[in-house]
Amino acid sequence: MVDTMPPSQYWPGGTTPPDLSAALPGGTTPPDPPAALPGGTTPPDPPAQAVIQTRALTKVYPGNVTALDGLTVGVAPGVTGLIGANGAGKSTLIKILLGLLPPTKGQATVLGRDCQTSGETIRTLLGYMPEHDCLPPDVTATEFVTHLGRMSGLPPTVAKERAAESLRHVGLHEERYRLIGTYSTGMKQRVKLAQALAGDPRLLLLDEPTNGLDPAGRTAMLELIGRIGAEFGISIMVASHLLGEIERICDHLVAIDAGRLLRADSITSFTAVSEVLAVEVEEGLAQLQQELKARGLTATVAQRALLVPLGGDDTYDVVRDAVADLALPLCRLEQRRHQVEELFRGDEGAAHV
Amino acid sequence: MSETPAGVIHDLGYRRYDGPRLGRAQIVRALTWHSFRSSFGIGRGVKAKIVPVLACVAMCLPAFVNAFGVARGSPRLFGYDVYVPQLRVVVLTIFVAAQAPELVSRDLRSHVLPLYFSRPMRRGDYPLAKYVALTAACLLLIEVPLLILYVGTIASAKNGHGVWAETRALIPGLGVGLMWAVLMAAVGLVLASLTGRRAYATGIVAISCFLTWTVSELLIQAEGGITSASAGARIGGLFSPFNILDGVRIWLGGTSPGEDANPGHFGPLYGVVAVLLLAACLGGLAARYRKLSMS
Ligand SMILES: Nc1ncnc2c1ncn2[C@@H]1O[C@H](COP(=O)(O)OP(=O)(O)OP(=O)(O)O)[C@@H](O)[C@H]1O
Ligand SMILES: [Mg+2]
Repeated sequence: MVDTMPPSQYWPGGTTPPDLSAALPGGTTPPDPPAALPGGTTPPDPPAQAVIQTRALTKVYPGNVTALDGLTVGVAPGVTGLIGANGAGKSTLIKILLGLLPPTKGQATVLGRDCQTSGETIRTLLGYMPEHDCLPPDVTATEFVTHLGRMSGLPPTVAKERAAESLRHVGLHEERYRLIGTYSTGMKQRVKLAQALAGDPRLLLLDEPTNGLDPAGRTAMLELIGRIGAEFGISIMVASHLLGEIERICDHLVAIDAGRLLRADSITSFTAVSEVLAVEVEEGLAQLQQELKARGLTATVAQRALLVPLGGDDTYDVVRDAVADLALPLCRLEQRRHQVEELFRGDEGAAHV
Repeated sequence: MSETPAGVIHDLGYRRYDGPRLGRAQIVRALTWHSFRSSFGIGRGVKAKIVPVLACVAMCLPAFVNAFGVARGSPRLFGYDVYVPQLRVVVLTIFVAAQAPELVSRDLRSHVLPLYFSRPMRRGDYPLAKYVALTAACLLLIEVPLLILYVGTIASAKNGHGVWAETRALIPGLGVGLMWAVLMAAVGLVLASLTGRRAYATGIVAISCFLTWTVSELLIQAEGGITSASAGARIGGLFSPFNILDGVRIWLGGTSPGEDANPGHFGPLYGVVAVLLLAACLGGLAARYRKLSMS
């Protein structure tokens, strides 16, 4: 456990980053996760070093339920949000990546290894946090995380040490000798995260980690995940159905709907698109839409407002002029975010990045 | 790893682990050992130890008493291959009914299986570890009294010939114990893995064992008892795992007369049924966990 590399500016607390390749079984070098570190430039698009890559991945459950439908997506190192409504196929994708579910068609690789043939190796490199409850009430958090550390292949004393550390990282240091059954929902979610962290994974797959938490709990959990991604140098894929919630901590987003890819992009381009100008007029909505189109702006109707993608500074002026020229009674003109739903439905054209 | 002074209370940051990792076989061994300990309530609360301790005491007590008796000149009362048949049936049923759910139903109940399956093990490794653990636990429960009896008897053996005779009698007895452990652990686990509710799981195992045993006994009685030569009495034992085991024991040349089953020339059938029952239980267990790992 002696490190030879010089201290890195990214490594917190002055400890030295260990040699990543040495930890891997079989001595093969994994794709480095340098882009996971803050301050690094975001890679343009999932290149060869993608931590996750799927090709035409399809999963049809018995009963002809298509959960994934030809999903092709690459995920770069860093924190990636997997966004999709209920039933979009997020959990299915995660289980395929873990090598637990065989895909009906297509292929998936994690850290350069095929999920179907190298599931065992992949699982030594992954940490997984399921979406549902998965904790026994009648053991202490320390015992539980230690046992699961053993199951990840850690020797007994190491498992104990790392269990204590993982629980400290998630903020359960004081309470670690309590029975899990006495924990609050927020604390239980943290234990779930701690057990995923115990085996020192290269990649964390977190399935709805904010499930069941109140707003404060959500914020705390997200901060924790953000910190793990940014400071611990672990790549993370976090599934959620709330874009607004996880976009804060993500470097990239992958949006899926009904098992198909909607968009996969860096967070910056995602949010750029999601900035819109909402124009509300008392009447003449269609008329205004025509007029804006003539002036080169594509506006979409959302309830009683027109949504105009916010391009440059002149978008405001163009809209104001159009309204003035048509002499329409303007009620409201405001900058706002696309709702997740609109992102999913409205931007089909942008889906194939 | 880092040379931080002790007592500093702040987050030292994340440490990678680049030391050795156990392979799959060692992980399965660790799970087996963990499960074996918990089948005796070790590492669990006081309540979890009640049934295992009582079972061990009940099983060993006759052996102790008889061993003392032998030391004072009375003969050895129990054959190594049958021991105390009725007691063994009852104690083993209770032990398996209580501890098989401890090993599998608890994990089902708390939905902890996805955490196992997301680790390096393969699908079949979890049930395999549980099976080996419970088999070993049952083996211990069955064989330790035999060993107590054996040690007590040879201690007062007059000559080497006596020791040799005892040893020759003990070895088949240990073999029968192994058969019991192998089959009863499989029966117990496959039934317990049906439900995450411990009370139900215990009920299912206990009722299945007692009910089949009772039915089997009644059938044999109705056909004239074990001394009867009727085919019904001979195959009546096939309806209970315990009587199957006893039938196989007699078929293989068991010394003492059968208490429950008397297979007669149906002996090979008992052997085949025992193997089929074991295969069905283990296959069912594997299938059950295969399904669970994909849901
Ligand atoms: N074992 C299964 N058998 C049959 N259909 C299934 C199974 N598991 C999931 N599905 C179906 O597959 C689709 C995708 O499910 P999945 O759980 O992957 O969605 P999700 O994005 O995780 O949703 P949620 O946000 O509700 O967790 C759903 O329509 C679901 O009903
Ligand atoms: Mg899900």
